[in-house]
Amino acid sequence: MGSLFSKKSTPKSRVTEQDQAVLKLKQTRDKLKQYQKKIQLNQEKERKLAKQCLDQGRKDKALRLLKKKKFQDGLLEKTDNQLDNLERMVSDIEFAQCEIKIMEGLKSGNEALKELNAIMSLDDVEKILGDTEDAVAYQQEIDAMLTGTSIVEFDEEALEGELDAMLAAEEEMKMPDVPVSGIDMPEVPDHEVGEGEKGEVKERPRELFAG
Amino acid sequence: KQWYQRRVREPWQYSFPPFFPIQPIVKTKEQQLASWRSLICDYHQHHRKWEVDRVVFENGRISRRLSPAAQRVVLQDLCDQGQGIMEGERCFVLWKTVAQWGSLIHGWVSERGLTGTVLTLFEIHSGDDTEGQPFYGMDVWLLQHVITALGKEGKAELMMGESEDFSDAGVKFY
Repeated sequence: MGSLFSKKSTPKSRVTEQDQAVLKLKQTRDKLKQYQKKIQLNQEKERKLAKQCLDQGRKDKALRLLKKKKFQDGLLEKTDNQLDNLERMVSDIEFAQCEIKIMEGLKSGNEALKELNAIMSLDDVEKILGDTEDAVAYQQEIDAMLTGTSIVEFDEEALEGELDAMLAAEEEMKMPDVPVSGIDMPEVPDHEVGEGEKGEVKERPRELFAG
Repeated sequence: KQWYQRRVREPWQYSFPPFFPIQPIVKTKEQQLASWRSLICDYHQHHRKWEVDRVVFENGRISRRLSPAAQRVVLQDLCDQGQGIMEGERCFVLWKTVAQWGSLIHGWVSERGLTGTVLTLFEIHSGDDTEGQPFYGMDVWLLQHVITALGKEGKAELMMGESEDFSDAGVKFY
C-alpha cells in the first residue's frame, strides 16, 4: 500500500501509444457489433411483418420486405468481413507487442551474459588452472618424500629372519614329531569290541564322541 | 407489476404495513432498515438490475409504499452501509461490494490471459465472451467506478474515449 503520508496525484500511466491504437480498433469493432445487432433485430421484425403480409395476401409488400432483408444480409456480410479485418489487425498489433517484449528479453539476457564473461577472462581461467596443477604436483612430491624415507632405520633382512623363526616355532608346538620306526603297534583284536568294554582308545577314537 | 410473485423469497415484513413508514424507535428502525437493505439487494440481484428500481418500495397487495422521504432515508442508509452508491440523481445497488466486483472482473481477465491487453468497457458489460458472467450487463458508470477502484490498487488503468459518459472507454488490466 505504500506510505500513509505520501499522496500520489496519479500513478504513472502504463498505457502506450499502441494501446491507444488497439483501443480505437476495438471501439470500432464494438460499434460494428452493435450495428450488426441492430440490423439483425430489424431483420427479425421485418421477417415477421412479411409473414403477416403473406397471410393477409399482400404479396407485393411481402416481396418488398424480402428484398430489403436480402439487402440487409449483404450489409451483415460486409460488416462481418470488416470485423475480421479489425480482429486481424488487433491481433497483429498485440503479437508485435509480444515480439518487442521477446526482443527486450533477449537483449537484456545477452547483456547480462556479456557482463559475466567480462568478469571471467580466458587468460584468468588458464592461469588458475595452471596454478592448481602446480599445487597438486607439489603436494604429490611432498607425499612421495614423506612415504619414501623412514625416520628409523630397519634391517629388513634380520626382521624377516625373525618372522620366519616365529612361524616355524608355532608349527612345532602344533604337531609333535611322529616317530618313524621301532615302536610296536598293538595287535588289532579279532572280535568286535563293544561299547562297554574297555576298548583301545586309539582304535576307536570316534566312538567316544558319538551320540 | 407484481414483481414479488417472481421472487424466491420475500421477507415477511414486506406484507406487514408498519414496514413502510420509517419507525421512530431506534432499535426497531435499525432492524427495519436492515430488512430493507437485504430486500433491495436480493431483488436487484435476482433481476440483475443495477440501478435502483423504485417498484420495490411499494407493495400493491397491502396498498402500502414508502414515501419519497422514507425512500431517501432507506437509500441513504443503503449507501452508508456500503451496499449502494449514489452518482448524482442515480443510485446503484451493490449486492456485491465494489471490491468484490473488482476482484471478480480482474479474476475473469486473468483467467482468459487478457492482462496486459486493452479491452473496451463495452466488451466487458455486453461482449459475447462475458455473457454468462455475473457482471454482464453492468451499468457502464458502475463498471468504470469498479475499474477506477482497481486502478488505485494498480491492477487496472481506465482509458477514456472521446465521450464523457464512458460509453467508448477502455481499460488495461495488469
